[in-house]
Amino acid sequence: MSNQKENKTVFKAPFGGLGAGLFINGIGCISPQRTFDNSEFLAEVKEYNTNRLTCVDADYTKFFDAGSIRRMGRLMKYGTAAGMIALRDAGLEVPGAISTGTALGLPEVSQKFLKSLIEVDETIVSPTTFIQSTHNTVSSNIALLCKCFSHNNTFSHKGFSFESALTDAQLLVLENMNNILVGAYDEVSDYKYAAMKKTKELRGEPCNNLDIYGEKGNGVIAGEGAAFFVLAKEKTENTYGSFVGNKTFYKPESTEEIRNHILSFLKENNSSLEDIDVVITGISGAKETDATRIDLNKNLFTTQTIIAYKHLCGEYMTSSAFAFWLASKMMKSQQIPDSVILENRNRSPKNILLYNSHKHNHSLMLFKAC
Amino acid sequence: MSELIATLKVQIIEQLNLQHLKPEDIGDDQPLFVEGLGLDSIDALELIVLLQQQYGIKLANPQDGPTVFKTVRTIADYITAHKK
Repeated sequence: MSNQKENKTVFKAPFGGLGAGLFINGIGCISPQRTFDNSEFLAEVKEYNTNRLTCVDADYTKFFDAGSIRRMGRLMKYGTAAGMIALRDAGLEVPGAISTGTALGLPEVSQKFLKSLIEVDETIVSPTTFIQSTHNTVSSNIALLCKCFSHNNTFSHKGFSFESALTDAQLLVLENMNNILVGAYDEVSDYKYAAMKKTKELRGEPCNNLDIYGEKGNGVIAGEGAAFFVLAKEKTENTYGSFVGNKTFYKPESTEEIRNHILSFLKENNSSLEDIDVVITGISGAKETDATRIDLNKNLFTTQTIIAYKHLCGEYMTSSAFAFWLASKMMKSQQIPDSVILENRNRSPKNILLYNSHKHNHSLMLFKAC
Repeated sequence: MSELIATLKVQIIEQLNLQHLKPEDIGDDQPLFVEGLGLDSIDALELIVLLQQQYGIKLANPQDGPTVFKTVRTIADYITAHKK
């Protein structure tokens, strides 16, 4: 008991933040871009002429046997594979714990299940769609595949889902756990796409994903993806950089309030705006919400290189996990792909700040290259 | 009987999502589980759903499952014997 207590107090966050700063030792991402191969970094950007971006599939036979694949829905496949890619990348067979975030779970399979339940008048339905209808199916599947019988949590809090999983990982490390597999996954189902169309969130078609930030057009492009990370206390040869900390805030009343959140977040993590080289902004193409981001880009982030990512993966509630992947790749390669640069101030990606928002859910993350 | 067997093969492929198989790949007397097609317990549940949804037949005694679902022919025999 005393040893446990001692261990808890011995560990210190690498950069002295409020939470536990963690090394990113493995990554895996499946998105509407070709991101599943960690040896590449956005060498070719996929161009879409639609307002709905769907994942570029990996070869799933490399991850699952044929018997398992036939039962898996689309998200089940790319979500689980992204987790397995991260584990393999970190050279880890079994993670210390698994913590995931998903805003909507597996809607395609869930809707199929509910539809069949109605069709057969609530009598007997397929067990496969039932099994895959819960939000934690992907994290459970990863646990079964890698035989991880430890902590396994899935957070479903709209635009804070991935952020909650990250906080969970930080707390687990403070409780002396290590090598946490953290990730997020969501899909753009037919129903979600139809709902986005109905609420007029979507950009009108025809539209080009590589041209959504200019004056032309208004609205987001629907997206999806899965990204996983192995977060650990110790640095390895494969370390991408450090995740220093995150912060969430809900429904800020003004740009000034957001500005204060950003500055206090940096201060809490022993950093300042002057230290930041690159800002990843969650600009999405929706004029109303982008106005604040553009204001911050012009008036607060005046010396940083500003980059955007939602033209690559589309808008979805856990898209900050894609941005986390982007930050990891930039830190390790010390390169910023031209395809993501909004404002180039020729800064090396050493210290990276992510500011994302989805509707009223706003989040900040801080990264430092090793 | 041969028509029912042919229909069953198509339905089994669809219900169990055996996309890598064609109806002609499944032998009438080929074991469906373990050493045959390699089906498992979840597939057995899917076959129970198939029987009920497509033929209105409820497997009254689950212990009969291994005998009924042994091959496509045994399923067809069961359907023929129990179809109202």
